[in-house]
Amino acid sequence: MSLRQLNKNSDIAQFGQALYINLSAAKGLQAVLRSNLGPKGTIKMLVSGSGDIKITKDGKVLLDEMHITNPTAGMIASTASTQDRISGDGTTSTILIIGELLKQAERYLLEGVHPRIIVEAFKLCRTKAVDFLDSFKIEKEITKEFLIEVAQTSLRTKLKQEVADLLSEIVVNAVLTVKREPNKKTGVIPIDLHMIEMMLMQHKLDTETKFIDGIVLDHGPRHPKMPKRVENAYILTCNVSLEYEKTEINSKFFYSTGEEREKQVKAERSFVNARVQKIIDLKNEVCKDGKHGFVVVNQKGIDPESLELLQKAGIMGMRRAKKRNMERLTLACGGIPLNSLEDMTIEVLGEAGLVYEHILGEEKFCFIEKPKKPKACTILIKGPNKYTITQLKDAVRDGLRAVKNVFDDKCVIPGAGCFELALHRHLLEFKKSVKGKMKLGVQAFADAMLVIPKVLVENAGFDHQDVLINVLEEFEKGNKVGINLESGEAMDPQLMGVWDNYKVKRQQLNSCSIIASQLLLVDEVISAGKSEKKDKMKH
Amino acid sequence: MNRQRSLARSGNIENLLKSGTKYLSSLEETIIQNIDACIDLAELLTTSLGPNGMNKMIINRLSKLIITNDSSTILKELEVVHPAATMILEAAQMQEKEIGDGTNFVIVFAGEILKQAQSLILSGIHPVEIIDGYNKAGKEALKYMDELVVKTVEDVRNEEDVASAISASIASKQFGYEDFLSSLVAKACIAICPNNEKNFIVDNIRVVKIIGGSIYDSKIIKGFVTNRTPKGSIRKIENAKVVCYTGGVEASNTETGSNVLIESAKELKNYTKGEENLMEKKIKKLAEMGINVVVSGHNISEIAAHFLEKYGILALKLPSKFEMLRVCRTVRALPLSTFVIPSEKEIGTCGSVRVELIGGTKITIFEQSKKNKSKLATIIVRAATKNVADDIERAIDDGVNSYRALCKDGRLLAGGGAFEIEMSRHIQKFGEKSPGMDQYAIKKFAEGLEVVPRNLALNAGMRATELISNLYSSHEEGKKNSGVDVVNEGICDMVKKNVFDLYQTRYWSMRLALNVAITILRVDQIIMSKRAQSGIAPPPQVSRDVD
Repeated sequence: MSLRQLNKNSDIAQFGQALYINLSAAKGLQAVLRSNLGPKGTIKMLVSGSGDIKITKDGKVLLDEMHITNPTAGMIASTASTQDRISGDGTTSTILIIGELLKQAERYLLEGVHPRIIVEAFKLCRTKAVDFLDSFKIEKEITKEFLIEVAQTSLRTKLKQEVADLLSEIVVNAVLTVKREPNKKTGVIPIDLHMIEMMLMQHKLDTETKFIDGIVLDHGPRHPKMPKRVENAYILTCNVSLEYEKTEINSKFFYSTGEEREKQVKAERSFVNARVQKIIDLKNEVCKDGKHGFVVVNQKGIDPESLELLQKAGIMGMRRAKKRNMERLTLACGGIPLNSLEDMTIEVLGEAGLVYEHILGEEKFCFIEKPKKPKACTILIKGPNKYTITQLKDAVRDGLRAVKNVFDDKCVIPGAGCFELALHRHLLEFKKSVKGKMKLGVQAFADAMLVIPKVLVENAGFDHQDVLINVLEEFEKGNKVGINLESGEAMDPQLMGVWDNYKVKRQQLNSCSIIASQLLLVDEVISAGKSEKKDKMKH
Repeated sequence: MNRQRSLARSGNIENLLKSGTKYLSSLEETIIQNIDACIDLAELLTTSLGPNGMNKMIINRLSKLIITNDSSTILKELEVVHPAATMILEAAQMQEKEIGDGTNFVIVFAGEILKQAQSLILSGIHPVEIIDGYNKAGKEALKYMDELVVKTVEDVRNEEDVASAISASIASKQFGYEDFLSSLVAKACIAICPNNEKNFIVDNIRVVKIIGGSIYDSKIIKGFVTNRTPKGSIRKIENAKVVCYTGGVEASNTETGSNVLIESAKELKNYTKGEENLMEKKIKKLAEMGINVVVSGHNISEIAAHFLEKYGILALKLPSKFEMLRVCRTVRALPLSTFVIPSEKEIGTCGSVRVELIGGTKITIFEQSKKNKSKLATIIVRAATKNVADDIERAIDDGVNSYRALCKDGRLLAGGGAFEIEMSRHIQKFGEKSPGMDQYAIKKFAEGLEVVPRNLALNAGMRATELISNLYSSHEEGKKNSGVDVVNEGICDMVKKNVFDLYQTRYWSMRLALNVAITILRVDQIIMSKRAQSGIAPPPQVSRDVD
């Protein structure tokens, strides 16, 4: 082969063989993920090299943890992660659709159809499908109940129902908290999900996960005698060092008597003490009525002596707060983060109804709750062990995205396989208007769409042929239906409150057909060059 | 050629992944094998269930010898690597964290219901149906638990009630000494119980082990005990006024480096003198304020020690930050960061500070007088060998944790397997009523509960099967509190015998066990990465064989 002459170490797979490699990789990946799909999907256990356990149903997490080395599979997996980046959901179905598109195409390829024709047909179908999606979408008034339904649809595919329902309400509350009303100056402000802090606590059970109106910090006041519970607190957020810092240049003191040294010690401290005093003065001024408490959250350090001063003044002081929490704190409680303690007034202070410390074994947490007009909040994730917590964390992230997507898209798609079934029928109609061999490609695309309802039904333990035929008959009657996975019968997703994100489906239709087309058009797989890793392994 | 093949054989899933990764997906490979591992782990612990449980001898990787029947200790030293077993283990650790007792039940019960599930799976029932059944049974069990409460401890300051409530927990670790130890623990806990008993902190009961003597020499000190001794010759002070410094008791120093600048001989002569005067002035001031104990977290300089001695002040150095905080809590002093003259508010008081010699070990005791309530109590444990002392400490820990649980919720259930049998009867009846395939699983759940009385009986050398049928018939007659009598080998009324389990302990252990069992049943595929090659030697295999 000519390639061999160019590079001795290269390998080549051509034509049928190349196609076979790609097809089998796509099918393999599909086989791993298909049992994940839907609320009735099973969970996978991942054991890392160091023996850590992860338990998941989330396609994205699974793909990240699997360490895929096969190039084709890797390519498909990266499409799925793009899907996740853009819409936060639908990774599993992306993999399934790609696999299915290739599988359906394979039938015709084996009969001698040229891949180019199929790819052209896919291209046609894609535009048709996206247009159809736009006509299929439903614009609904955004109410809390509706948002909860959307969150439930997404979360139930990732967690057991009991926990999913609990979390749905939590994520909706969280998103509604951080959502800002558009004003004239700035226009519509996009929802910033970073303003929702996720705090992990290994404690009790997953059903204890809570929405916290406020911020939870994972550290507590540093002085043992500081107040542990402050009500009606003023909160000062600052980024000012409250500890002695050495000079940059090399300096030394000289003294000849003990008294002199005492003086020097005092003078050295006075610099830091003066700063602390400013905070204390402010506290004395604003807390004159005795009804308020005072809390300092500092991004930099507070040394023991300063802590002692604060403690004596009855101030709760927390040091080394995370930078991201400083931003959230001011959003939650109001106030302005300070970089210098000059000219402080009451305006720079935030307010919170309740600040308290919670000790859990050796870890301390500080809850800053009941702020006045919170624009940031915390989801406190609890679970009895690490894998439950990570599972919840991943799910909450997806749930938040699903709710946010509703605000972004302003519309939704009826779920439970309804869209895929409708699209299948729509494409079959479309096929009639297509001329020539392209018909075959359209047929393949239409059939591939059925993979989602098919697998959903399969995972729920029903016979997919029976159910699909029943449901398609309902369509004949003109009803837009989905599949009830509890009974295996047709149902109306709009009545049951099963909604998918528009964004998710749109991204899916686009990326799946593109990547499938690309893989179909590959006629040579060349691996060239030395693999450094392999050589190292040998030695 | 080799490469060519590697390109071509990509159909198998394992080949898509990094080399060395294992992909398990069949029922046999996943659920059944996971359950097997969990059963193995549970069987290891069943023999240490209850008062007649056997001890395990564990030699850990640091070749330290541990003899115990405390399951959380055993598990900690086992270094389990099997993923499913690790999950059960984590559930037990969570129980340890939540309640501090009842870990054994979590593992044994989870193991048992998994074993029952396995037999159902092998006879063709789908795991999902078993999960449904277990969920239903679990919900019903937690609901029915409320009705099985036999007694409620209303007053957590009543020594007798408390002692009887926690004695079962201690008896399972130190059978024979439970009466003595439970009253000891009860006394100590009540002594420091804060006004709002829900704020009881386990950490405020300290245990100091001193080898020698017998268990019955163990006693309570209402205060703090440390094995450090004071610096000077002053050994005993009554009605002490205590000041605590987290920094050193020495001449203060600047953060920036400093040098003494001496320009004449006179200055040299006067320098040390000046230092001494400065120190004397400070310490004299302390003495004038009536302070007679100084505790320092850092160095006590020679000069300071000299003057402290001169003014009759006991000086103690405690480098551990935690010990320092405990002293502060005992004497109610505010710790000061630098060596300054304290204000009246910052000075603590203590009934007596003294050095005692117990069995060749010198200890310093801060004990509060009767009128001053201490926030801290220390139990001095005496035992013949270190292993025994360690085991007693674990029993005391369990007792103290039970007290904490009691403070939160005073409800008690009948112990000795009586609660489990009654619950099992109820769930069986519940199962018969429920339609569908869940029924099998619900019944198996009920059967799983029998594991407690069965093993209590087995460990006591009784014939378990016969005993359980006797128990059932006794319960059928309406004697809801009959349980296993391990002393007289038979059946007796557990409430009369004063054998109780805490509601809280059982509640959490059932929830956690059920939770983990269901998670394990849900897993249908496992992807295992190749184990990382680490420098640590594999754990010694000894522990498994000792059983």
